[in-house]
Amino acid sequence: MLAPGSTLRFDGLPEPLTILRRLGGGSQGQVYAVRVGGDGGEELALKWFHPGFLHRDPGLAERLQESIRRGSPSGDFLWPLALVRPPQAAEAQAAKAQGWGYLMPLRPAGYRSAVDHAAGRLSISLQNVLRGAFHLASGFHALHSLGFCYKDVSLGNVFLDPASGRILIGDNDNVDVSGRAGGAVIGTWGFMAPEVALGLARPDGASDLFSLAALLFQLLTRHDPFKGALELAIPCLDLPGRRRLYAEDPVFVFDPLDGRNRPDPIEHGSALLTWPIYPRPLQEHFERSFGPGLRDPSRRTLTGQWRQTLAASLDQRRLCPSCGEENFADPAATSLCWACASVLKPPPRLVAPAGVISVAAGNELHRHHLDPLAAESLDHPLARVEAHPRRPGLLGLRNLSSHPWTLVLSGGDTVTVAPGETGNLATVTQLCGAAGRVLIQA
Amino acid sequence: MAFPNVRLASRPLHFIYLCDCSGSMEAQGKIQSLNQAIRQSLPSMAAVARDNPEARVLVRALRFADRAAWHIATPTPVEELHWVDLQAGGVTALGEALELLAAELRSPPMEQRALPPVLVLISDGQPTDDFEAGLATLLAEPWARKAVRLAIAMGHDADGEVLQRFIGPGSGRDLPAGEVPGGSGEMPRHPLGRSPRRPLQASNATTLARYIQWASTAVVGAASTSASQIGGDFEGGDDEGGYNVPLPDLPPTELDPIDDPDPLKW
Repeated sequence: MLAPGSTLRFDGLPEPLTILRRLGGGSQGQVYAVRVGGDGGEELALKWFHPGFLHRDPGLAERLQESIRRGSPSGDFLWPLALVRPPQAAEAQAAKAQGWGYLMPLRPAGYRSAVDHAAGRLSISLQNVLRGAFHLASGFHALHSLGFCYKDVSLGNVFLDPASGRILIGDNDNVDVSGRAGGAVIGTWGFMAPEVALGLARPDGASDLFSLAALLFQLLTRHDPFKGALELAIPCLDLPGRRRLYAEDPVFVFDPLDGRNRPDPIEHGSALLTWPIYPRPLQEHFERSFGPGLRDPSRRTLTGQWRQTLAASLDQRRLCPSCGEENFADPAATSLCWACASVLKPPPRLVAPAGVISVAAGNELHRHHLDPLAAESLDHPLARVEAHPRRPGLLGLRNLSSHPWTLVLSGGDTVTVAPGETGNLATVTQLCGAAGRVLIQA
Repeated sequence: MAFPNVRLASRPLHFIYLCDCSGSMEAQGKIQSLNQAIRQSLPSMAAVARDNPEARVLVRALRFADRAAWHIATPTPVEELHWVDLQAGGVTALGEALELLAAELRSPPMEQRALPPVLVLISDGQPTDDFEAGLATLLAEPWARKAVRLAIAMGHDADGEVLQRFIGPGSGRDLPAGEVPGGSGEMPRHPLGRSPRRPLQASNATTLARYIQWASTAVVGAASTSASQIGGDFEGGDDEGGYNVPLPDLPPTELDPIDDPDPLKW
């Protein structure tokens, strides 16, 4: 609809936009990469709506204006920046006929669609998948704290950086004040809460919690939470089929009480392989959201609960000494590696005032481990367990904070570790830092 | 250490072109426009397939002239498909084409579990064999009834009633052609009075290409149902009414002649 290479002037923008290339499109509109102003100007994304879609969603402009006014809930959103109308279309009617759009940040390089992850086209560590899940829950937490709800969660709207686990949430034009009616889009099958899919309720914060749970489940298992034996019983998975599966009689594949929809070993292998990886508290959140939470929105796991449990799951991470795979089972008991079934004995631990972290290369100590009042955050770790580059099996703790630490060794001696330096963990019993004290227990 | 090598479960989505290769398709380059439209649509169809990992999009094509035959007989993953040009010449054995199609939609060879097939009939004239018998055989197959059936009329000699019979009964929920959107007091299901549940009129190559593009991307997306649902789209959705897949809006086309640079009209 907009020609790449052209430079266009729009109402609402002081500088012209150069259309660089089309990034994608769908039934709602097209997305383009654009440059603001001349050479060297900022590169942004422009979403341009089809006139046909605008007819269906009369409140769209107002919703976007509200979002633009309030600003992005956090750094993890590709949030609308400005509305862009065709010139000489000061009247809403004329603009509707030609289409109009909005500007938002461009997705940075390195971020891949969560669809690629679900399709098995992405290599990513379990640690980064859990981090991604944490950041997703945090994004929704921030969005809901502003009184907004997302309304159209799906894999296609989430982007993931496999190298770090950071996420970006796109397609924010359905975001609205929670509980407000209006808006054309109500959701995507598989992510819509049953009450929304059945037309009994409009999307709101509570239905978002269902969608978040479905998204987290797909991220962690690469499987749909409602596709088990009941899905195999549906020959043609069309609209009536999906209504039955997701809305009329949804049964979680791992529902502890209702075993009608267990995953098939051949067709649904991804669920059976991945579910046991995750610790019970995390599994319980899914069981509750997809059990009592199906019909009672007040029982759905809250964003704060997801954040807490996902952060705690990361704290339990350790590497199997036999095969090297990441394991997340409760470290207090002996367990078996999910990948090779080797025995995993309880590991050494960092015991902080507000958290216990297994000692494994890559695990991190955060402020919320030291300060029980601090909200969970993965953004600025204070320390990271690292493997010695030349001596396998030797682990150290790198000081990522801005203050020196004092390490107390088993003989009673102390060692100072400056910011950026790594202290050998082998004989340390205690870490004293500016933020608090951590015991190291074998 | 890595996420296990697993992926989302998927189902086949059979996409089948039924192409009129009668002699009249040679006139005014219609058959070449069709070949071109299909060939050009394949990359974006592959992109939609990539964006919908729960669907394995498999493409086939049937040709019909004096006789009907499979032009591409093996269901081919869209990303691997190389389109071979159709040639025109003969009459219009649409009935036989529907019989051949029916045989492939029977289980077996049709899988036990799949997404709704998408069947796109493209024709420029009247059937010359027993269309009614062919249609009856086709619609006796459950998979054919569950399929999204679209029809594109090339030029103005196609039989609109035949094409509509292939698509299925229109419903009272469609706007009569020409009705002003919103005039009934309701939000129209398909704005501007144009519905994909009627034959799509392609009077030139550009329009044909847009409809082929739409069928192979937006409709595939809808049948995979990873697309966002518009509120109000799924009251109904009964088996026999053909509303088991909510269809996306048609692409903007030459309602405004100024848009259309293509002087060649069929």
